[in-house]
Amino acid sequence: MTVESGPTVCHRLPAGLKLLLVALVIAAGLAIPAENWPAHGMLAALVFAGHTFAGIPLRYLLRRLALFLPLLLTFALSLPLSQGGDRGWELGTAIALRGSLAFLSMLWLIHVLPFPQLLATLRRYHCPSVLLAMMAFMYRFSFLLFHEVERMTAARRARSFGRTGFWFRWKVGAQVIGMLLIRSMRRAERVHGAMLARGWTGDVRVLEDKA
Amino acid sequence: MTSPPGPESALTAEAPASAEAAPEIAAVEVRGVRFRFPSGQAALDDVSFTARAGERVAIVGPSGAGKSTLLMHLNGLLPERLPAVPQSTVFIEGVAVAPETAADVRRRVGFLFQDPDDQLFCPTVREDVAFGPLNLGLPAAEVRGLVTSSLELVGLGAEYAERSTLQLSVGERKRVCLAGVFACRPSVLALDEPSANLDPRARRNLLQILNRFSGCQIIATHDLDLVVEHCHRVVVLDHGKVFADGPPAQVLRDEWLLKQHGLEVPLRLLLDDSMPRHSLS
Repeated sequence: MTVESGPTVCHRLPAGLKLLLVALVIAAGLAIPAENWPAHGMLAALVFAGHTFAGIPLRYLLRRLALFLPLLLTFALSLPLSQGGDRGWELGTAIALRGSLAFLSMLWLIHVLPFPQLLATLRRYHCPSVLLAMMAFMYRFSFLLFHEVERMTAARRARSFGRTGFWFRWKVGAQVIGMLLIRSMRRAERVHGAMLARGWTGDVRVLEDKA
Repeated sequence: MTSPPGPESALTAEAPASAEAAPEIAAVEVRGVRFRFPSGQAALDDVSFTARAGERVAIVGPSGAGKSTLLMHLNGLLPERLPAVPQSTVFIEGVAVAPETAADVRRRVGFLFQDPDDQLFCPTVREDVAFGPLNLGLPAAEVRGLVTSSLELVGLGAEYAERSTLQLSVGERKRVCLAGVFACRPSVLALDEPSANLDPRARRNLLQILNRFSGCQIIATHDLDLVVEHCHRVVVLDHGKVFADGPPAQVLRDEWLLKQHGLEVPLRLLLDDSMPRHSLS
């Protein structure tokens, strides 16, 4: 295990240890009984301490959490409806809390461990290569998709001439998503062609580190 | 399956000034290729040409002429999934492009895609350049050497190896793509719009790199100045048909022909023709 360089103590921790810490937090969240609120609180304190030591701004965390929470809360709120009574609320709250903590732990990991290093570390610990390849593709092309959305949004704004309104935005948004899907499929075809052109036969081969 | 000819010589030696000294063997032979898209639209209609080893052949024509489609036939990316064909119509150094020869053909033909983002799919430069050699089954030590030498060949130092492919300029991305192609040690290059979106300096760097490759180059491009500067021959393609095949200085001066096929006489030739002879001396 090698010590990493970086601006904070969290960044300088060995990559394997960072992964282990996040795995432990998620496992602990799953293991704690739903009604054990002090243990949940301690885990939350640990996660927030990690963020503080890593120098991650609270505003950044809240913004990311705001994107994730609607999805999580939809699932958590279904429990009181299906289970009913106090037990349902207790389970729903515990799931919302655990989900948030797991999400925050992953944010911490993303912040302190660059993605290529994360892949290299997972490879070192014999993570299946197909899974790693999928993660690498997802990472690489999520940025391209994001840029594509930005370009399409700019083009839409340039020709909207100030026209706004709820239905107009929904309609245009749906068109952008549809077009993005088609473009993504075309790009996927081209990328597949580029892989075939360099001898891809379906096996994932990686260049192992020298060490 | 035979191994491709010595790549080192193809990559390090300066290319001959003309293709006159090239050996007789056809590096690329295209015989009456026809292709239709699934929609039924004809993309290629009885296209034939040959290119010798060391020869640089440009494929020019308006957008939608079939240039990229033709290039994709050179290493079997088209017809899709290489369906069994009664007779092979494309030969690379004598090897027919067919499902059973796909690996061998792709080893011989290095393909540079128009959009570098289609070609750079690994997180780091090192992994991307290593992708091809690893698929060729080369040992790790050799692959590492190839990554370093290929990056040096395209003018990128070892410090680029660990860089993310997201953090590169368009010119750098193009060069990494070329490094990935060179790392497979091809004897034929198929280049789809290699100078597209490059600034003048990046374009000049690209030409210098391509000049160092002495193997056969088939270049689909709209950049007619590049054709005049770099190629021995030009093939005019339109609506999937070949309309002219000859030296750039001759073909690209034919205003009528170029106008018929949505092209214009390149600026370089116009300047050459308008410049008084005595000023050159």
